Amino acid sequence: MDSQFIVSLAIILATFALYIFIAVYNKAKETSDFYVAGRGVPPIWNGMAIGADWMSAASFIGMAGTIMMLGYDGLAYIMGWTGGYLLLTFLLAPQLRKSGCYTVPEFIGDRFKSNTALIIAAICTMIISFTYSIGQLSGSGVVIGRLFEIDAKLGTMIGVVLIAIYAAFGGMKGITWTQVAQYLVLIIAYLVPVIFMSLQITGNPLPWLTYGNIVSELGELDKQLGLSEYFAPFEKGTKWQFLALMFTLMAGTAGLPHVIARFYTVSTMKAARWSGAWALLFIGLLYFSAPAYAAFSRFILMTQVAGSKIAELPAWTKTWVDTGLLQVADTSGDGILQWNELIIANDIVVMATPEIANLGIFVIGLVAAGAMAAALSTAGGLLIAISSAFAHDIYYRILKPTATDKQRLTVGRITIVVATLLAGIVALNPPGAITQIVAWAFALATGTFFPALVLGVWWKRSNSKGLIAGLLVGLAVTLAYIFAAKYGGFTILGIIDTGAGVFGAAAAFAANIIVSLATKPPSQEIQDAVINLRYPEQMTYKNGEVFMED
Amino acid sequence: MVRKIDKSKADAYFREKNTYMIIYFIIWALVSYGVVLIAEPLSDVYFNGFPFHYYMGAQGALAVFIILLFVNAIVGDKIDKKYGIDEKRNEEIGKTSVSEH
Repeated sequence: MDSQFIVSLAIILATFALYIFIAVYNKAKETSDFYVAGRGVPPIWNGMAIGADWMSAASFIGMAGTIMMLGYDGLAYIMGWTGGYLLLTFLLAPQLRKSGCYTVPEFIGDRFKSNTALIIAAICTMIISFTYSIGQLSGSGVVIGRLFEIDAKLGTMIGVVLIAIYAAFGGMKGITWTQVAQYLVLIIAYLVPVIFMSLQITGNPLPWLTYGNIVSELGELDKQLGLSEYFAPFEKGTKWQFLALMFTLMAGTAGLPHVIARFYTVSTMKAARWSGAWALLFIGLLYFSAPAYAAFSRFILMTQVAGSKIAELPAWTKTWVDTGLLQVADTSGDGILQWNELIIANDIVVMATPEIANLGIFVIGLVAAGAMAAALSTAGGLLIAISSAFAHDIYYRILKPTATDKQRLTVGRITIVVATLLAGIVALNPPGAITQIVAWAFALATGTFFPALVLGVWWKRSNSKGLIAGLLVGLAVTLAYIFAAKYGGFTILGIIDTGAGVFGAAAAFAANIIVSLATKPPSQEIQDAVINLRYPEQMTYKNGEVFMED
Repeated sequence: MVRKIDKSKADAYFREKNTYMIIYFIIWALVSYGVVLIAEPLSDVYFNGFPFHYYMGAQGALAVFIILLFVNAIVGDKIDKKYGIDEKRNEEIGKTSVSEH
């Protein structure tokens, strides 16, 4: 056992002990607490919890590597995964909070007065959240496996056990405060290596101000090698793919059930808009830093690693070559490692750079703990969304309306354990790369819930038949495009599977509007309830009149 | 105490919030989609060491998004105040209006 192993293990165990302590300390006692944390989480803390929920293994482990590989085209992830918070905070969050529902399917069931709509929405929630959580669990498996030098499958199983325990026993209240802690761990773990690299390369501790020159220098280095410049736009995909991917990630953000559920935990509409603002500020800290991380990593690789003698490569290369995620081959046979002879997988950039830059065992261990926090915190929020879709929307509202609080809590916990185990089993042999699975979950949310919720909140004429048509058409078109683009090579304007949400959303909006207009308008009571969402809590709309409670 | 108010007053509240929202969305679209659409010509302009299109994708758009959300929160509070909305009452109503299931 080397000292790196011991330090990494100690840091991970210490942070896990903290999360579990908080979860146990806050063990939920009532169902209301279990699902929405008793609706009293202050906006700043809720913002951090949203941040931890939001920033998954894909953001923490994958994103900087993706930007490093794609150059400018990778920035669609930066703008897409942050710009969605405006759609969410302006168009949906306060209104959904006023509706007083617990979950997204419940809002849809109430708004459209249809159990069929409720069930379809609950199933969509489960599909989206389940798909997403497979990516998180397999991400945690990669980190645990790499770190402890055990099989990634065993690592995945360890992650499954941990997440099932604290999600089932803590409920969301446990998770809210656990996630505040996870946010702090993951953001510190991400910023420390970026700041150290910035000091090393530019001598300035503020990477955000200095890496512009590094980006320009990378372009120069590329030019000398005869490659297209790092920052040149639309080299890896068409402009339309960039725009479609950005839209899919933005609208998917506004349609993800586990993120929307966070906005039910605030006390008022005002608190909902403040939560959205704080959330993006906290998320922004990581997103501002990811392109800097990418630029510094690429700079170090191009200037310090490339050009060294193959026989004298440092120790870190061997560990990573052994994982199969890094290849160094002296194809030119001159004994020198050239830049184009170095093949590095996206997903190891964040994990490997601290080793490459020689930042010390403490920083390397910290990054591993941050990666685990990112994967597990998102998995926790996803499992709560699956659990409430089943226990609350399907079991309680449809199957057994007489169920007691205790029975519902039990069903909720069983759902979490079963869903975690199932996701864990799929994660042992994931159907695609982590980032790919996550992108599909976003495309599905864009094609289903984004149109359904926007029309449900803003258009009183939208009825249950239109909604059901929209959900089903959106789901079908999104799935069909993903498969056609991925396996059939079918593309429109160069838009590949990750941009599929554009077509799903367009089809769903059209289907919802056309079918709604062709069928009977919703009852006056429903239309009044939709108008009521326009005003703050103190104002109530009824029969064409507005009442104010003082 | 519940009293009836003029519906036009409630609608003025709704319209005022929507007007701001539309302004925010126009800015949002310009800094993200707008800049991407004209990325090629912008790449010859430099800002703080970055080619400008890269700067907007990596920092500029995100900074504008965060500012817009905080402006929305602050302006929203001002509009609430203007129409006599009391956050303490909202909290009480928010607690009780939760649909009973």
